[in-house]
Amino acid sequence: MIIEIAAEGGFGGIAAAASHKRIDVDQQAEPMRQELCEAFEPDQLALLADKPCTTCADRLTYRITVTDSQQHSQIFTIREDQLPPETLDLIDQM
Amino acid sequence: MCFSLSCSGHNPVNCIIPPYMLQVLALRGDEDTARMARSLLKQNEQVRDERAEHARAGVPPTDLLSGAFASHALSPSGQLCCPDRRIHDGGFKAALPGTLIRSEGDDPCGVDDADLAYDGAGHVFSLFAEEYGRNSLDGEGMPLVATVHHRRAYNNAFWNGAQMAYGTGDGELFRTFLELSVIGHEMAHGVIQFAGGLIYENQSGALNESIADVFGSLALQRSLGQQVHEADWLVGRGILGPGVNGVALRSMKAPGTAYADDLLGQDPQPWHMDHFVTTTDDHGGVHINSGIPNHAFYLFCNYLGGRSWELPGRIWYRALQSLNNPMASFADWADQTMDAATDLTGRGSIETVLLRRAWKLVGIGF
Ligand SMILES: [Zn+2]
Repeated sequence: MIIEIAAEGGFGGIAAAASHKRIDVDQQAEPMRQELCEAFEPDQLALLADKPCTTCADRLTYRITVTDSQQHSQIFTIREDQLPPETLDLIDQM
Repeated sequence: MCFSLSCSGHNPVNCIIPPYMLQVLALRGDEDTARMARSLLKQNEQVRDERAEHARAGVPPTDLLSGAFASHALSPSGQLCCPDRRIHDGGFKAALPGTLIRSEGDDPCGVDDADLAYDGAGHVFSLFAEEYGRNSLDGEGMPLVATVHHRRAYNNAFWNGAQMAYGTGDGELFRTFLELSVIGHEMAHGVIQFAGGLIYENQSGALNESIADVFGSLALQRSLGQQVHEADWLVGRGILGPGVNGVALRSMKAPGTAYADDLLGQDPQPWHMDHFVTTTDDHGGVHINSGIPNHAFYLFCNYLGGRSWELPGRIWYRALQSLNNPMASFADWADQTMDAATDLTGRGSIETVLLRRAWKLVGIGF
């Protein structure tokens, strides 16, 4: 599984304000591999993307692309306030 | 209320309350009303999706306010006195608020970002309290909670509805977010929320951004004792990385000129309605089109001269307190500032003439 993450928005409203990240989950050592699989499971992401906004001012928006072993890609647009802190920490480690 | 009478037990799609009103209820209702409004908005959205009538228009952002809409600051609280600052260290993690490292009255803790957040919050509290009679962000003395060292190499700062959070920047694009206009901007988002809110997309979202920039800049100018002509009118001066070609993130005096850089691109802010940017990015360009009302404020201050946090700041603050329209357009806001100026300076005053001229110059005429 490949995870690609691009970010935009935030206080600056700048598309380039966060780096683009790409990670091949299958190449990661445990427990990172398992944590990534759970955090970026597509059904889970779809649920999170539906969470209503509490306060959106200046929050980053992530465009997360998850590509499975059959080269099937799914794209999710998720604000950072919709992701649990543990997932944000994972993104920061990528 | 109408909300429950009209909708309970009925198909919400047939509910007589239109979506824009649900958005307002979600933004301003008490907790139960807001929850019901969000739920109905969501059901409407699902039906819309099923019908596939539109390419996912989306539900405008909504805020859950802890209490009913109330405007506190036109009648200063007798309790108005002192800030209650609580600065936390996020430890470069995302969980909030982190570890409390400096409380109100404590000596500097030695963590630069925390001490800057503490001092900055004090300046912003003092602007709202001493100039506009507002007791903290909610008008009721709420603690000023902030987290520094939020996430790792995080290029952002925000207000999350209850507290401020500041990243350190990655050292390349941004070197810090602990600059007074940024701190004031984030705290002003709190004031805007508690004043009734402005839905964070398109023109109302750009107004939310602009008003945050205005009070951020005023906090900085006041702390430096600057007259209008001495101020740089920059938002986020010095926060860009050392290799970035730019002076700040935004310029209220000359929108569109704050930076021009290979990595960041060109500052996209317009100063006139002729160059209003229509986009779906950035919640409909909220950080872009804010340049237009930002520039109108600058022009008005420039016409008047003197200290911008005094009459111009009072007019903007009064307009915010009496706006009562979370979906306000630029023209609605201009009207509101005209009303506030009339209240404060009298009908036909030179100040109202100059304010009208400022709005007209950015393409918002009367
Ligand atoms: Zn903002």
